[in-house]
Amino acid sequence: MSVGKWLSVGVGIVVTLLTALFISLDSTPTVSFLGTGPLMQFAIAGIFGGLVGLAHYMVISRFNSELRRLMNHVSILARADSRELPVPPGMGLAPLAQVIEQSMSSLRERCQTLVAKRRELEIQLRIAEAERRHTEAVLNSITDAVLVTDAFNELALANNAAATVLGFDTSYSLRRPIDQVIDDRSLVKLIKDTLEGVPAAPGHRRHVEHRLQRDGREHVYDIKVAGIGSGRSNGRGAGTDGNDSVGVVTVIRDVTREREIAEMKSDIVSSVSHELRTPLSSIKAYIEMLIDGEAQDEQARAEFYNIIQGETNRLSRLIDNSLNISRIEAGVVRVQREQVSIPSLVRDAVDVMQPQARARNIELKDASSPVYFQVFADKDMIYQATLNLLGNAVKYTPSGGKVTISIEVDEIDRKVYVRVADNGVGIPADDLPHLFEKFYRVDQHKRLAQGTGLGLNLVKQIIETVHGGKVSVVSEPGIGSTFTYSLPLADNS
Amino acid sequence: MTEQKPLILVVDDETHILHVVSLKLRNAGFEVITAENGEEGFDQAVSHLPQLIITDFQMPFMSGLEMCQKLKEDPRTNELRALMLTARGFSLPTEALQKTNIVNVLSKPFSPKEILAKVQELTGMKALT
Repeated sequence: MSVGKWLSVGVGIVVTLLTALFISLDSTPTVSFLGTGPLMQFAIAGIFGGLVGLAHYMVISRFNSELRRLMNHVSILARADSRELPVPPGMGLAPLAQVIEQSMSSLRERCQTLVAKRRELEIQLRIAEAERRHTEAVLNSITDAVLVTDAFNELALANNAAATVLGFDTSYSLRRPIDQVIDDRSLVKLIKDTLEGVPAAPGHRRHVEHRLQRDGREHVYDIKVAGIGSGRSNGRGAGTDGNDSVGVVTVIRDVTREREIAEMKSDIVSSVSHELRTPLSSIKAYIEMLIDGEAQDEQARAEFYNIIQGETNRLSRLIDNSLNISRIEAGVVRVQREQVSIPSLVRDAVDVMQPQARARNIELKDASSPVYFQVFADKDMIYQATLNLLGNAVKYTPSGGKVTISIEVDEIDRKVYVRVADNGVGIPADDLPHLFEKFYRVDQHKRLAQGTGLGLNLVKQIIETVHGGKVSVVSEPGIGSTFTYSLPLADNS
Repeated sequence: MTEQKPLILVVDDETHILHVVSLKLRNAGFEVITAENGEEGFDQAVSHLPQLIITDFQMPFMSGLEMCQKLKEDPRTNELRALMLTARGFSLPTEALQKTNIVNVLSKPFSPKEILAKVQELTGMKALT
């Protein structure tokens, strides 16, 4: 028997007892009229109590039933995705059910809103993740080193170039204090100062040139650092307020090569200027001497004229060679490639050089065999290079000496080798590595012959830069020198 | 009685320059000795103690500047004055010049007359004929 039923029985007994008590105390004629004794009165009270207990039981049962329905109702409503419309409960619980239903409906709406927001956030997260990967890819595609530090001077972002230049491991170094990541104290100070907005940096940006050791040699870096604005509007623009930076972006560019080129250009300009002034000095001085009548006789005058002519030719060669080298280096030279027969070209060069060799009593011998093969090259340029080598050999070989030009073909490597050998003064070992440099002249050779110091550089430019060949030299002072250039054979040779 | 001709040392690796400067000075009555590089120039200066040295800047083995520095450091030659000829398009560093007795720098191309006038001014001697 349930608690409700026991309660109803209890209520019936209590009502019976109270009714019996009420009747026994009442001595009015109405009750007396009923003519009942005490037993009868108790029976009546019992019946009445039983009825009341029954009624109570029925009411409690109904109430319990409705309460269960309400609970069921609420549990249905609690399901956020429920579309059911439950039957409202009776027993006056409908208003309560309505209030609950309204609350639940409101909760359900909030729940749906939150679900939508969650989905939106998930999408945004995926987009942000994709953007982060994209940003990383963009950063890593930049050859300059880029690193970003946050408001606590910790490494927030760095590309591969930064890791290479500054020698750290990105995966280990992220979120670590910058002074634990970068060894270079002055760079760390620069970044920290920029974050703190030290007034020395107008516009909160700094641009410095810095030298760092890397791979055992000193590199020159151009470093730009800039504070990152917090995005808060302060009327001065983000990142311009000294106290408003949330981090620092550092961009490091290796300008070592640019600096070397700039220095080289400056050296070349200086050398060209020096080399042009030298013959010009002689020309100017000897002309002035002639005008002032300082040449005392016809022989002296003739000597002066010869010197002026020689120095003028030297100046002219210097300008021609300089221009040719500059054009080749700048890539603006017009290269007219054609099938060139090297033996025929060598023969022409020997013919042109023969009078000069004879005048100096030097035997110039063409030892090339008449084998048919060709190279695909600019004929005039290769001719010029051959002439320069023959000219040098004749210049630096004493009277009675011998200059031989020969050709060799390597059919396996598909190359032709042209060799110019002399038994002249030779080149000291210390000079050999510099021989093809611009304006380089062997000191001991300056007294033997005039030169611009550009002829061999032009040979190298023509053979190596323009034609992809190779120039080399072997030499021994007092014994002689052999210059060799090689060129790739034409495909149909 | 013959007067002692002032001795001038000319140092240059360009033979034509050596020739023309020497000729101009000899024609003006100076005695001239020559050298083709800094090392040779230093040796000549020590042995002959010329009244003035005319030197090129850029030369093999030892530059004109190095030679002049070495001459100033040497007690035998530390009072010898020099006139420098240079084909370099920029001025020489003052600190380097202060370590020498270079009293004047002339740029190439030069005028032999101009050199002669400078030599006469520095030696305090007019041409002896």
